[in-house]
Amino acid sequence: MDKRTRILIGKVGLDGHDVGARVVAMALADAGMEVIYTGVRQTPAQIAHAAIQEGVDLIGISILSGSHMTLFPAIMKALKENDADDIPLVAGGIIPTEDIQTLKEMGVKEVFLPETSTSDIIDFIRNLLESDA
Amino acid sequence: MADSREGEIKRPEKALKAKKTTTPDSTEHHNRKDKVVTDTGLEISRLYTAADCPQGEAALAEIGSPGQFPFTRGSAANMYTDEPWIMRSYSGFGEASACNNRYRQLVRQGTDEIVMAVDLPTQVGYDSDHLMARGEVGKVGVAIDTLRDMEILFDGIPLNSLKRVSMLGNSFSPTALSLFIALGEKQGLTPDDFVVDLQNDILKEYVARGTYIYPIRPSIRITTDTIEYCALNAKHWYPCTICTNHINAAGAGSSYAMAFALCNGLVYMRHLMEKGHAIDDIAPLFSMFMDERSDFFVTIALLRAARKIWARVLKEMLGARSSESLALKITAYSHGGETLLEPVNNIVRITLASLAYVLGGVHSLYNASYDEVLGTPTEEASKIALRTQQILAYELGITNTADPLGGSYFIENLTRRIEEDIYTELTKVENMGGAIEAIESGYYQRKITEGALKRQKAVENKERIIVGVNKFRTESQAPSGAFRIDPALEDAQLKRLQKVKQERNNEVVKETLSYVREIAEGEKNLVPAVLEAVRAYATIGEISDVLRGVFGEYQAKEFFSANR
Repeated sequence: MDKRTRILIGKVGLDGHDVGARVVAMALADAGMEVIYTGVRQTPAQIAHAAIQEGVDLIGISILSGSHMTLFPAIMKALKENDADDIPLVAGGIIPTEDIQTLKEMGVKEVFLPETSTSDIIDFIRNLLESDA
Repeated sequence: MADSREGEIKRPEKALKAKKTTTPDSTEHHNRKDKVVTDTGLEISRLYTAADCPQGEAALAEIGSPGQFPFTRGSAANMYTDEPWIMRSYSGFGEASACNNRYRQLVRQGTDEIVMAVDLPTQVGYDSDHLMARGEVGKVGVAIDTLRDMEILFDGIPLNSLKRVSMLGNSFSPTALSLFIALGEKQGLTPDDFVVDLQNDILKEYVARGTYIYPIRPSIRITTDTIEYCALNAKHWYPCTICTNHINAAGAGSSYAMAFALCNGLVYMRHLMEKGHAIDDIAPLFSMFMDERSDFFVTIALLRAARKIWARVLKEMLGARSSESLALKITAYSHGGETLLEPVNNIVRITLASLAYVLGGVHSLYNASYDEVLGTPTEEASKIALRTQQILAYELGITNTADPLGGSYFIENLTRRIEEDIYTELTKVENMGGAIEAIESGYYQRKITEGALKRQKAVENKERIIVGVNKFRTESQAPSGAFRIDPALEDAQLKRLQKVKQERNNEVVKETLSYVREIAEGEKNLVPAVLEAVRAYATIGEISDVLRGVFGEYQAKEFFSANR
C-alpha cells in the first residue's frame, strides 16, 4: 500500500484568520491525505522544523495580512538552511495578482486565491506530487 | 461551464417557464428548492400569514414599540427619524502621516466616526522594530508605537469634530484608551468633550481572529479594567463592543455567534458586578457588533431578536432595570459576501447588506470597501463605502419611519424563531459553566469549525449561489490593481520610533513602566498607570512587555484536527 500523502497546513506571522486554512485542511483530509495543521502565529523557522519533523510531502501556507512578500521568502530560506527546500510550498490567501508571478519565480509552486474550490487544490496537489514521484 | 450567461440570454422566457413546470427537479434556473434552510438552520416557508406570528395585544406585549421594552423594534423611540445611524469609516494603513491624508478626506466626505484599523504588531503588543513585526508593519492597518503616531494621525482632526473615534484592538485596550485620552489632552480636550468606542472584547480572540497576548483570566481583567475606568471617568464612552462578527465570520452561524458573544459579555459584566459595580452603572457602556452574511431577512430579524434577547437576559439574569441598560445599541459591518472575481459587484452586495442592517435598526454602521478582498482599500473604494451609507440615509425615505418592517408576518416570525435559537444555545453554554468553560473545552471552536466546513460545501455543491463565481461565471482571473502600501512607509515608521525613543525622557518612561508593573501585580485598575506611561511616550511594546512579565503569554491550545 502506498504511503499516505502528508501535508502541513500552516499560518505564519501574526495573522489570526484561519478559516480558510482549516477548511482546506479538512478538505485535504477528506480526500485521504494526512494533514498536520500548525495553528496560528508560527515563525518561518517553526514552519520549516514542523515540515521536516513531520516528514511532509508538501507545505501549504495561508496569509491574509499582506505580509506574503516578506514571509514566503523567509520560509524558503528556513527550508533551504535545513536542506529541506525540496519540499514543495504552495500559498493561499489574499495575495494581489501582481505578486503571484514573483512568488512563483521565487519557487512557490502555486498561489490559491479566495473562491478556489477545494477540489481544484486537491487536484493540483495530486498532480504535483505524482509528477515529482 | 453549463450555466454560462450566453445560454441564459438565448433561452426565451416562455420556454424557460415551460421547462420549469415540466421538469421541477432541474435546479439550473430555479430560485427556490422545495426545502429552503438558512445558514443558521431555519427552514423558510413559501408564505407567512397572520397565523405565523403574534397579533394585536399579544404582539404589543411581545415586541413592544420602538424605544420600549423589550426593544425588538429599536433602541430609541424615534430611531432614524431624528437623525440617521452613526456612519463609521474603518480605515488605516502604513504609517500615521500617510494615513492622516486618508482620514482628512473621510472627514471632508462627512464620516461620523473614524475606526482606526491598526496593524497586527500593534494589536498584539509588538513595536514596529520587533522581530515578529517584520513584514507586518502598516499592513492591515496603521502602525502605532507611541502617542507621537496618534498626534500625527489626527493632525488637523480634533477628536471632538467627529461623533466618535475608535481603534480596533482587544488585548491592549488600556493602552488604546490611554492613547485617546492623552491625544485629547494634546488637543486641549477632556474626555467629556469627545466619545471613544473600543472593541475590547478579548474572549472571542481565543476562538476567532487570534490577536490575544495574555492568558484568559488576566485578559478579562484588562478588558474589565478598561470598562471600569470609563464607568468612573467617561460614562458616555463605549469601552466594550461584544462581537458576534468574528465568531460568525469564522463559521459559527449568526445565531450561535450571538449566543456565544452574549455569553462572553456576561463574563465581563459579572466580573464587574463582583467588583461591586451595579449592573445599571455598567451595562450602558456595552454595545454589540452583530453579523449576518447569508440572508437579507435573517439579518433584519437577527438585529431585532438580539435587542430582545439582550433586554431579557440583562433584566432576568443580571437584574438590570434602566432603559439605558436594557436598550442594546448595535453596530455592524457590511461585509462577508464579497468576491474576488468581478469585485465591482461587491458594491451591490455591500449596499444590500447595509440596507438590511438599517432595516434591522443598527445604531452605528460601517461598510467594507468593495476592493477589500484584494487588499487594503483604495481611496476611491473607501469613499464609495461611506457614500453608500449616505445614499441610504438621505435619498430614499428609508429613515422616515421607525422600524418600517415591524408587523411583517415573515419578519416577526423569523425574529421569534431566531430569538428562541439564541436563547436555547445561550442556556446551553451557561449550563456548561459559561463562556470560559466553553472556550477551554473547545466547544466554541468545534461549532465554528463545523460551520465553516458546512459553508464551504454549500458553495461547492451550489446550494449557496455566488453570482459570477459558482453561477453565471465568465471570469477566471481576479483583476489586478490592488492598493499598494509603499514599502518605504515601514522604514519611515522605524525611524520615527527611533527618534521618539531618543527624544523622550527615558528616566520618566522607566518610572512609569515600573509603576505599571506594580499595579499589574496588585488588583487596582490598570488604566491610570498605563495612561502615565503613554503620556511619557512609552511604546505599546514596552507596556505590553511589562504586562507579559506579570501575566505571562497565552499558550494556544489547538483543538482542531483535520483528520477525522
